[in-house]
Amino acid sequence: MKLIDALELLKRPVPERAPSLRAFLACGFTPLHLQTFFAAHLRTLHPHSRVDITTGLFGDLAGNLERLSPSDLDALAVVVEWQDLDPRLGIRSLGGWRSTDSSDIVKSAGKSAARIGGILKRLASSLPVCVCFPTLPLPPLFITRSEQSSVHELQLREMVASLASATSGERSVRIVNGQCLDELSPLGGRFDMDSEVMAGFPYTLAHASIVAELLAALIHNPGPKKGLITDLDDTLWAGILGEVGVDGLAWHMDQHAHVHGLYQQMLTSLASAGILIGVASKNDPALVEKAFARGDLILPRESVFPFEVHWDRKSGSVQRILETWNVGPESVVFVDDSPMEIAEVGAAFPGLECLLFPGNDYRALWKLLKRLRELFGKSAVSEEDSLRLRSIRDASAFRKHSGSTGGSLDDFLRDAEARILFTMDKQSGDARALELINKTNQFNLNGRRLNDSAWLGFLKKPGAFLVTATYEDKFGPLGKIAVLMGRQEDRRLAIDAWVMSCRAFSRRIEYQCLKYLFEKFKAEAIVFDFEATPRNGPLQEFFRPWLDGVPTGTFSLSRRSFFEKVPTLFHHIEEDVRVRIE
Amino acid sequence: MSELNDRLIRCFSAVFPRLAIEDIPAARLESVEEWDSLAALRLVAVLEEEFGLRIDLSDLQELSSFKTIERYLLKRGDVS
Repeated sequence: MKLIDALELLKRPVPERAPSLRAFLACGFTPLHLQTFFAAHLRTLHPHSRVDITTGLFGDLAGNLERLSPSDLDALAVVVEWQDLDPRLGIRSLGGWRSTDSSDIVKSAGKSAARIGGILKRLASSLPVCVCFPTLPLPPLFITRSEQSSVHELQLREMVASLASATSGERSVRIVNGQCLDELSPLGGRFDMDSEVMAGFPYTLAHASIVAELLAALIHNPGPKKGLITDLDDTLWAGILGEVGVDGLAWHMDQHAHVHGLYQQMLTSLASAGILIGVASKNDPALVEKAFARGDLILPRESVFPFEVHWDRKSGSVQRILETWNVGPESVVFVDDSPMEIAEVGAAFPGLECLLFPGNDYRALWKLLKRLRELFGKSAVSEEDSLRLRSIRDASAFRKHSGSTGGSLDDFLRDAEARILFTMDKQSGDARALELINKTNQFNLNGRRLNDSAWLGFLKKPGAFLVTATYEDKFGPLGKIAVLMGRQEDRRLAIDAWVMSCRAFSRRIEYQCLKYLFEKFKAEAIVFDFEATPRNGPLQEFFRPWLDGVPTGTFSLSRRSFFEKVPTLFHHIEEDVRVRIE
Repeated sequence: MSELNDRLIRCFSAVFPRLAIEDIPAARLESVEEWDSLAALRLVAVLEEEFGLRIDLSDLQELSSFKTIERYLLKRGDVS
């Protein structure tokens, strides 16, 4: 982005009632153009928000961080440069570059790094913290020639790497990827010495824009796509199965088919991180079965579900896979080597990202693999990620069985051997709970999304509680599938958020959630902060028996009324309560 | 109006968003409230980027109005 474009973007009016995004940009130098670019990039990513950026004092990064009041902020961006660790690592200081100073510089930088690390950890318990560690070249202060690394320089780099590694373990900390920065902003084009000396701003405009863009992207933190649908012939493997047969398929280097092996390896990696992998192939189903029975396939058969293998249109296959996964096309990527198939699926699902498999072009494959990581990247793999595919298979089996037993739903649920674990906690570390609140649409009390700061703020309120439900039955575990967030006000509960994964429908878990709340808190009434959304119809229907219609706004459900109409529940209940209930 | 003049007006408009377009050619450091030291640095950076040149920050004092900046750019000869 050019500076003039950033300034013009920031001139655009923001609607009066736009929600505000309040971010603090912490750096030890004059923020100048970095602040402008940072605001502009955030504005690009949050076009309907008012972006307010505040900054601190020149030359005092640690102090600026220590003085912060996290409750006034939605996010914190921190830019650490070498001179923040010791002023002698910058060029504005004349503190000495004697050979005997090097050890002391390293020592004092270590103390600063420890101080900054401690503050970042503390702040990360209250708001998302995005950090960019030193990006500028070190000045030529060490005794070695430029082509030789000095031991002190290596010690400094090791110290920064340790600091980054230690802070990245905090749930709310996101670190700018140095490799990504190197690709976008080559080292030689980053430092503007004139500007540093005259204005206290060390970055070239191009570098400032890139640093700002990456920090804004970390704050924006979009959720990953959920599933990938792949073609088989000349995509997952080299060769047309119907022509070369099962034994003629190839994906190894000695068969000149390494691109397919790497692609399989990437899909296996995605599957291991909870990404759903499905197959849409115009092929003979029996042959595909045999191909997946080959023991040397890198992508194992159990990582793929469902298989749509026939000779019909691929858009139909994609439609059925989306239904099985119960996700929208905007959450899915389709990969095929045929431009015609890409065009057919793309036309049927405009929101679905279609990527052409590049054949034997390794440069294009590298781009494809990087693109897939961008689309599916996540900070950590949760327990639910590892359960997702299995629970979708189990849900499919559950639906099949519940419709085919011939008995009543009560009979079926009685025999399902269902267990629910309710966990009550006020800790902010439950990333899955926040993820459910921000991703669930159909069974969602009001559709409101929470950023990290609002989430952390809510849990600190007096009387606030967070209840999660983890479900398992004889068909398999579903993992953590429901979240209730609310406040206790004497014998009344106020529910601010209630979501349940659509994978958990038809098991009466929602009834058990309310029963648990009424009994655990000895509540006489529960008040629901309901708001209709275009997609929360299932939740609205759930309340129909008590309201004689669907809810229209905030409403209250009494204990007596609830227990009059609750159906028989068969779950075995376990609980893990980590907070005191009044 | 020359092309250079148009581009310069765009630069001023970006750095001083409250300044009406018709008032820009008469803009001077003393008459524009927002023209402080930070705005001056921002203006220099925008000019460098827009005209593909490097401006010595010691020339800042000279660049104190739309007219002087226009003359400075014409004099430079390396404007892209």
